[in-house]
Amino acid sequence: MKRIATIVTLALLNSLLAFAGGAKEAAPKELVIGLQAPISGAYAAEGQWARQSAEMAASLINAKGGVLGMQIKIELADDAGNPKDSALAAQKLISKGVKLVVGSYGSGITIPAADLYDAKGVISVGYGCTAVRLTMEKQRPYFFRTCGRDDTQSAFFAKVVEGMGAKRVAIMHDNSDYGKGVAVDAKRFLEPLVAAGKTEIIYYDAITPGNTDYNATVQKLKTLKPDLWFYTSYYSEAGLLIKQARQAGLDCLFVGSNAVPNPEFVKIAGNAAVKGTLMLNEPMPQFLSTPEASEFLDAYKAKYSEIPGSIWAVYAADAVNALVAAVKVANSTDPVAVSAAMRALSGAKGITGELMFDERGDRKNVPYQLYAYDEAGELSPYALP
Amino acid sequence: MTAFFAQLLNGLTIGSFYALVALGYSMVFGVMKLINFAHGDLFTLGAYLGFSCLVGTASWFAGLGNPWVGIALSLGVAAVGVAAAGLIVENLAYRPVYRAGRLPLVVSALGISIVIQNSVMVIWGPRYQSFPTELVPQLSFGNGDFRITALQIFILVFSLVLMGAVWFVIERTSFGIAVRAAALDRETATLLGINYRSVVRFIFILGPGLGGIAGVMVGAHYGRISFTMGWVYALKAFTATILGGIGNIPGAMIGGLLLGVLENLFSYYVSDSWSDIFATLVLIVVLVFRPTGLLGERKADKV
Repeated sequence: MKRIATIVTLALLNSLLAFAGGAKEAAPKELVIGLQAPISGAYAAEGQWARQSAEMAASLINAKGGVLGMQIKIELADDAGNPKDSALAAQKLISKGVKLVVGSYGSGITIPAADLYDAKGVISVGYGCTAVRLTMEKQRPYFFRTCGRDDTQSAFFAKVVEGMGAKRVAIMHDNSDYGKGVAVDAKRFLEPLVAAGKTEIIYYDAITPGNTDYNATVQKLKTLKPDLWFYTSYYSEAGLLIKQARQAGLDCLFVGSNAVPNPEFVKIAGNAAVKGTLMLNEPMPQFLSTPEASEFLDAYKAKYSEIPGSIWAVYAADAVNALVAAVKVANSTDPVAVSAAMRALSGAKGITGELMFDERGDRKNVPYQLYAYDEAGELSPYALP
Repeated sequence: MTAFFAQLLNGLTIGSFYALVALGYSMVFGVMKLINFAHGDLFTLGAYLGFSCLVGTASWFAGLGNPWVGIALSLGVAAVGVAAAGLIVENLAYRPVYRAGRLPLVVSALGISIVIQNSVMVIWGPRYQSFPTELVPQLSFGNGDFRITALQIFILVFSLVLMGAVWFVIERTSFGIAVRAAALDRETATLLGINYRSVVRFIFILGPGLGGIAGVMVGAHYGRISFTMGWVYALKAFTATILGGIGNIPGAMIGGLLLGVLENLFSYYVSDSWSDIFATLVLIVVLVFRPTGLLGERKADKV
C-alpha cells in the first residue's frame, strides 16, 4: 500500500514538474547569463569588481525593459582564480543549462573553461584573458573576448622602450600563460631594436608566483643595472617586487603590464614605492568618457561608492552588453544564432567603445595607453618623450 | 662577498619563519603521528589577528610614538589567540575521531583546514590586507647592497630565543620528558603515569602559538597578508620538517633554517623560478642517503 502511494505521489510530482517546466518554456521571462569570476583566491578583488560590474550592466539593461521581453539574471560561478576550479565552475554553469557565459579573469584560468563551454556549444565571453594563444592556437567557435590581445601590448611595449631610450632592459614574468605570453612577445618585438644595437636585454627570467620574499631576485637584478624593468604578470607579486626593490635601492624605471595597475597593487607596495612607475593598459575605467561609460560609472559609483578598480571588470560589463546586443540582433537566445550575430555585430555601443569581434572571437580596435603613478598613488596618462 | 652575506641573512630570515611553523608540525607528528593540515591556516589566522590588533589599537599607542609596543602586543594577541584556536581545533576536529584510526584523522584535518581558511576569508574579506607602514618599525641599517631592518634583527633574535626555549622545555624539563616519552611509546608512557591528554593539549597550545607568532612576523616584515598565505608556508615548513627528520624538534629548526638559506641562495645565483624545484631536489637527495631526515626520527634506545 505504502509503495503504491509513493508511486502515485512521484507520478503526480513528475507531471507537476513537467507542467511547470513546460509553462516556463512557453513564456520565458528571464535570460540567464552565467558569470565565471575569481570570487575567492588570489585575484578575489578582480572577481568582486567583475561581479559588481556585470550585475550593474544587467540591472541597467533590465531598467530599460530587458532584452526580447526578458529580464537578465546573472548566475555566478566562482573559479577561485585557478584552472582546476575553473573547470568545475564551467561544469556547474553548463549543468544548470546556462547558454551564455561571461568569463573569466586570467588566461590560464579561462582556457580549461573555454574548452568545456566550446564543447557543449555554450557561448563564453572572456573579460580579463589576453593571452595570444586563447584565440590563435585553435579556433573556438563559441569563444569571444571583450579585452584585447597581448601581442598588441607587447608591440606597444617596444615603442615605450624606444621612446624612453632605455638601453638595458630587464623582462620578468611568472611562467603563467598570460605572463609568459607577454614576455615572449615583448622579447620578439624588441628584436629590431636589439639588432640595431639600441637596446640590450640583460635579464629575461621568471619568478615563482605566490611567494612573499623576492629579495634575492631584486638584488640579482640590481647587480645587472637595468634602465627599464618590465614586469609582465599580476599585481600581487608586482606589488611585493617593487616594494622590495625600492627598499633595496633598485631605482630603475618600472613598467607594469596590464594586470598590474589596480588599487591592490598600490595597497601592497605603498604610495612611495609606486611613484613614477609606468603602466601599459587598455583605457583605465577612470578615463572612459563616452555617454555609455558615464551612465555605467555613475550608477556603479552610486551603489558601491567607488568605481571598478580595473578595466577588466568593465570588460565583464561589456561582455554582458555584447551578449545582449547579439541576442537582440539574432532575435533568439540560441548559441549558434547568437555567435553568428556576435561576429557580425556593428554599431553596438559598449562602455569601452564599439563592440566588434573578428572571426577568431577577438575584439577589434583595442587601443593601448601609457599611464604613470604619482606620489598619491593615482594614475594619470603619460606621454612618451 | 657582501652579496653572499646579504642573501645568507635574508635566507635565515625566511628560514626562521619556516622553522617556527615546522616546529608545530613536528611536535604534533612526534606525539600523535598526525600531520596537522590545519597548521598553515592557523598561521594565517595569527597574521590576521595580529593585523587587527595592530590596526585596532593604533590610536591608543599613537601618543607613544613607538611602533614596537604595537608589534609586541600583536605578537602576544596572535600567540594567545592562535593557541586557543589550536586547542579548539584539537577538541573539535581531532579528539572525536582518535579511535577511528589514522585515515579519518587526516580527512578531518583537511576539513578543519578548509573551515579555518574560509572563516578567515569571510571575516576579513577575500582581498589582500596590508600592515600599515606607519605602524611597523621602519628603522634600517646599511645601504642598498647590505641592508637589514631593525625588524629583521628582531625577527631573527626572537625566533632563535623561541626555538631555544622550546628546545629547553622539551629536553631539559620534567614535562618535556613526559612529552618525549609519550612520543616514543604512548601505552608505556600512560602506564608510567604520564597524562597523555595533557601532553596533547600542551603541543596543541605550543605549536599553533608559535605558528601565530610567525604569521604576525611575516605580515609585519613583508606588509602583505592574504587568507591563502598559509598554503605556501605550510608546504615549505612541512618540507623542512621532513628534511630535518619528522618528529625531531632540533631537526625542524635546522631543516627550516637550511631550507630558507638554500632556497634564497639559489634564487640569487641561479633563478627564482626554479627555487622550489631545487628545494625539493635537496629534500630527495637527503632522503636517499638519510631516509629519516638529517637528524632522524627519535627512536627508543635499546638498553
